[in-house]
Amino acid sequence: MPEPPNGKQTNIDGRSADELAAGVLIDAGAVLASSLELSTTMGQVARLTVPRLADLCVIDMRDEDGSIRDVAVACEQGQLGRELEEMRAAYPLDPDGEHPVARVLRSGQPVLLAEMNSALLSSFAQGSKHAEFMIDHGYRSAVVAPLLARERTLGALSVLRLGSGPPYDEDDLQLVCELARRAALAIDNARLYSEMRSVERRLEAILVNLAEAITVVDEQGRTVFANQAAAELLHVSSPEELMSAQPGSVMPRFIVLDERGRELDLEQMPGRQLFAGQTPGPLLVRNIVRATGEERWIIVRSSPIADPESGRVLYAVNVFENITEVKRVQLAESFMAEASRVLASSLDYGETLQQIARLAVPQIADWCAVELVNEKNEIERVAVHHPDPTKLELAERLNRDYRPSLDEPAGVPEVIRTGEARIYTDIPADALAEYARDNQHFELLSAIGATAVIIVPMIGATGAIGAITLVSAESMRRLSPADLTLAERLGRRAGTAVENARLYTERSRIAQTLQRALLPESLPEIPEMEVQARYCAAGELNEVGGDFYDVFDYMDDRWMLVIGDVCGKGPRAAGVTALARHTLRAAAMSGQSPSEMLQTLHRALRRQPPGADLCTVCLIAAQHDGARTHLDIALAGHPPPLLIDSEGRARLIGRSGTLLGVLDPVEIVETKAELADGETLLLYTDGVTDVGRPNDQLGEAGLIELCRQAPRLDLDSLLEHIEHVALEHARLGLRDDLALLALRAPAPQQEPPRR
Amino acid sequence: MLGLHGELDLLGAPLLQEAIEKAEREGETSAILVLDLQDLQFVDSAGLRVILAAHERSRQNGQELALTPGTEQVQRLFTIAGVSGHLRIIGSPDELFV
Repeated sequence: MPEPPNGKQTNIDGRSADELAAGVLIDAGAVLASSLELSTTMGQVARLTVPRLADLCVIDMRDEDGSIRDVAVACEQGQLGRELEEMRAAYPLDPDGEHPVARVLRSGQPVLLAEMNSALLSSFAQGSKHAEFMIDHGYRSAVVAPLLARERTLGALSVLRLGSGPPYDEDDLQLVCELARRAALAIDNARLYSEMRSVERRLEAILVNLAEAITVVDEQGRTVFANQAAAELLHVSSPEELMSAQPGSVMPRFIVLDERGRELDLEQMPGRQLFAGQTPGPLLVRNIVRATGEERWIIVRSSPIADPESGRVLYAVNVFENITEVKRVQLAESFMAEASRVLASSLDYGETLQQIARLAVPQIADWCAVELVNEKNEIERVAVHHPDPTKLELAERLNRDYRPSLDEPAGVPEVIRTGEARIYTDIPADALAEYARDNQHFELLSAIGATAVIIVPMIGATGAIGAITLVSAESMRRLSPADLTLAERLGRRAGTAVENARLYTERSRIAQTLQRALLPESLPEIPEMEVQARYCAAGELNEVGGDFYDVFDYMDDRWMLVIGDVCGKGPRAAGVTALARHTLRAAAMSGQSPSEMLQTLHRALRRQPPGADLCTVCLIAAQHDGARTHLDIALAGHPPPLLIDSEGRARLIGRSGTLLGVLDPVEIVETKAELADGETLLLYTDGVTDVGRPNDQLGEAGLIELCRQAPRLDLDSLLEHIEHVALEHARLGLRDDLALLALRAPAPQQEPPRR
Repeated sequence: MLGLHGELDLLGAPLLQEAIEKAEREGETSAILVLDLQDLQFVDSAGLRVILAAHERSRQNGQELALTPGTEQVQRLFTIAGVSGHLRIIGSPDELFV
């Protein structure tokens, strides 16, 4: 091989040049493949070229903000390299300037500067100091090649010969460009890789640790990504197991239902819907694990990953949010609220308990039955529900033929006796067989197909009065401790409601009995006269009233009409009522006049234990002779009665007197009046005239107005009319009892109307 | 002095009772308790009972109870109940200071 001419480093001999080129590229390949760490690599590439190809090599990169930064400098003389770096730092290259690196970065085209003189150097120097630097160091020849990757110029690779070395030529340009191209590819890959790793790491950190379960699934149903939470949700041992599972092999482990408990077609899941071209919203599902019966409430949301160009959905990203706890609490509360409403809605607890049973199915269980202990200490079923009527028949037969008795050791009787709930989460056939009384019984019980049973007591004030049974069967839903808690609450609520209803009914029975005992059962017939009475109690069914009336004969042809008001209600008022009636009767029998009778009652009341038992009374002694009826009227604190003539004109009669039982002395003034044929005497309590107060009060005037109807109506109808109007006035219900007592003298030449 | 408003019936009576008792406790040194009924629209026997009980108590304690007139309905009730003669009705609270 001929000796290279002095100074030239590249051989004119093509073979040597090729060998050199090949050598550089092979080494470059090795370097670029060995590390992805950018600055190391670039440093190594730069060093490759020196001294074989250049005296100085610089690799500049373009930063995101467009500025030019050197990332590698290689030079045999370390000093020069450092100075160059300093120079770059002090006089950074202007990206819009004439420096060849800037030009290459802009154009993406390589530049060959075979011979550079001072003038040329000065033309693109970044100032005089820079020019001096380049001239002093003998910048002679240069090649600047773009680092191109994916049609982007990432930077530039510059090789320089200094001093008197041979100039670069076209072959050198080609080589450097090739080197630059490979370096650029490596840089790009390194960047991409780094970005990708960084994103991947962030994503992984997020996804792996998210509480929400996430899966990414392709159109074929293959899981390409899953996080730990997803693995746990779907009951597999790891995300990897999920990703390697056959599509459609995991979901059969679950029963998937919609919100209302109906089976869900898996094509309705949002992830599948995405592939069908839909934009599905979030879906709430109930997912029951077949193996354990555990039920979860899950909200599923899915988003697509689509091909940016075609828009086709490549993957569905599914996020599963487990809201079981929240949902459970929510459902429990709304169930209890609804159950309470039902129980409070009526005293007919047979009906309300049936409604409760319907409410509990299928929300809490597949079956619900309610049993109560009746007066004969027997267990009586009052409600049962299941959506399938044929199953209900089963329950019917069980109840009819195999009703449990209170002394049996297990089941409803046990719960009622002990007042403690029982939960059976597993009912093996042999336990059932033991419990069953005979084969038939066993058949029926097996047909129910219970997988879990909860029995809770219905607790009243004195203990368990019954039990509620909840059974899980077809749905295979495991009954959880939360279900037990809810059932116990229901049991207590229902127990209280039933007991209250019973007591209330009992009390009102007593009250009605008492009430009837305090008022005359029937009015006596007064010869040739007509007597009618009306009574309306205000307030609760079980409060005994304070108004009273009475009609009795106390002497030949003499009749006493009494109407009074013991203010207040309840047992005490009832006591005073009884006292009043009997005292007045006794006083009348002993011959006292009306005013004397009232004084007697007053003294009797004053002798009562203190408590201001006040009482108002209107007494009218009536004596009928022939065509007229003589009236003696005595009032003690009571509204004056009305005398209605045959035209319906009414006037108040009597003189006010002091009410009884409180103040001393009591002043009573007796007055007289006469009832002619066809006329009506009307006694009433203030409950009648007070209705509609304060704004729309009926008042005495209103009552007088109503009396205008008297001639047209028979006595019964008149009283009914008054009662009717009073009730209308009392829009929000009666606040006080009302009582009416009327006496009518027959119209002339007419038979008294039959009652 | 206690001012009454609205309706005095079975429901309101206990409230009045309490108020009167409170006034009685607090006004130990005062000689007279005035119930101002000007704004009272309605009274029934339950309300009446409270007033009468107060009357009784004040009589026992050597104090006086006076009332200013209420509406027509209230006055009518007092008349029917025959209590007008027993209770001291004054035209207005000012009368007391004459």
